[in-house]
Amino acid sequence: MRNKTERFLHDARGPLNTISVNAELAKLLAQKNGAGDNIVNALNIILSECQRCNQILYEFGAESSGDSME
Amino acid sequence: MAKVLLVDDDAAFTSATAQLLTLLGHEVETADTVASASTLLHGNTYDRVFLDLMLPDGSGFHLLDHISHDTSRVTIITGHPAVKAQVMNLYGMNVNYLVKPITLDQLKRLFDEADVNPATGAAKRHFGELIGESAPMHALYNMITRVAASYANVLMLGESGVGKEVVAKAIHKASNAPGPFVPANCGAFSAELIGSELFGHEKGAFTGAISRKTGLFEQAENGTLFLDEITEMPLSLQPNLLRALESKMLMRVGATTQIPVNCRVVSATNRDEQQIVESNCLREDLYYRLAVFPIYIPPLRDRMEDLPLLAQSFLDTLNRENNTAYTLASSDLERLMSYDWPGNVRELRHSVHRSYIMTSPDAEHLSIPDSFSSPFSRRKTSPAQPMLVGRTIEEVERELITETLKQFDNNKTRAAEVLGVSVKTLYNRLGSYEAENAQQN
Repeated sequence: MRNKTERFLHDARGPLNTISVNAELAKLLAQKNGAGDNIVNALNIILSECQRCNQILYEFGAESSGDSME
Repeated sequence: MAKVLLVDDDAAFTSATAQLLTLLGHEVETADTVASASTLLHGNTYDRVFLDLMLPDGSGFHLLDHISHDTSRVTIITGHPAVKAQVMNLYGMNVNYLVKPITLDQLKRLFDEADVNPATGAAKRHFGELIGESAPMHALYNMITRVAASYANVLMLGESGVGKEVVAKAIHKASNAPGPFVPANCGAFSAELIGSELFGHEKGAFTGAISRKTGLFEQAENGTLFLDEITEMPLSLQPNLLRALESKMLMRVGATTQIPVNCRVVSATNRDEQQIVESNCLREDLYYRLAVFPIYIPPLRDRMEDLPLLAQSFLDTLNRENNTAYTLASSDLERLMSYDWPGNVRELRHSVHRSYIMTSPDAEHLSIPDSFSSPFSRRKTSPAQPMLVGRTIEEVERELITETLKQFDNNKTRAAEVLGVSVKTLYNRLGSYEAENAQQN
């Protein structure tokens, strides 16, 4: 169970990390003129990483339920 | 501008981080495997390499052997905080870490440390904060690096004006903690309010508590709480602080439930350990909890070789703020070096500022005053010795030499300068005193 938890924590930090740097990038670009496309691109990545993180949480939830039933 | 290699197989992360670093003014190349990174490292030299540990064709650790640690600094990107201590133990000071998720502030801080301007010759700011290349300062930098990799609380000891808060900020920056640096002076709080300031209070906890207030511990969540003048904290409140440090839980004033807190506590005092014990101002159990890692910050007189760097840095700041271009004359620098600066770096900074204000607008050099002595120059103003009639000139001379040496920590060169004799004469006198003592024994 501990290995599963550690793997989950590691996996969940991946998308969070990408969300974090893309949000920082969008913020920095928003302060500059003429960077609209790049901002939209960074925000798209943030949205897709949110979905990826949600999937990881879902899979962890399903595995944890399986563990408790065993 | 730094030349950066970013090694990570997460394309969305690599692309955004490369853009961020480029916007910060750095030149960035990327690689997504150990093999492609090895190829780049063979043909290029990088100022900093960002390294993910889990790559498709192996561990990022394999790349450490290909990196010149003389010229490159390495930052491991890890999802596991426990890796950071291992990294520090295995690879030393040129390798540090960032724990995911990474923020822009963390990226900026990494480059602050190497913020040297070769064109102007500006002093290097270690950890983005500290100036000095003397041996005591390098020993201090080593301790900061070591303790930053741990979660240990730190107690800093040092005279007033040595820069304890600056060292605390350096520890915070070196730790790459995601939370804020929150400074507080325990001597500035009233005894009635210090509990509320540190731990916060609930609405209606006492007269005037019109709303809930978060305390300094909560404000420093995931960061660093700096408690200056910790020995000024009332003894009656110290058990509460001890409990918070031991349990990592606290209770706001007027609350009924505890809340968890997670921050490093860096405390400071200008009393030495002996004074702390004798004055009974700090509970013994709290001392050990705060001083898991004690750090002694050297006074300026013990690192006088850093004075030119510090004085120039203060002058550079004033020149930049006021659009002037004053310089320090070498003769004035010598005079600055001949004073012992009992108020330490703070006194030096104020003296440079005072000199700056007094300098004529059409002057080239900073106008250094004739005297630097301050009311707090304790080392210059030892209690006057009674001049007793009946003592020989030799006895008075011996006492004068002994006292002068004491004032200058037995630095014979400086004592000889002050006494107006050559170093050789001083050694001759000391030799004769030793011979007299030997005869008497």
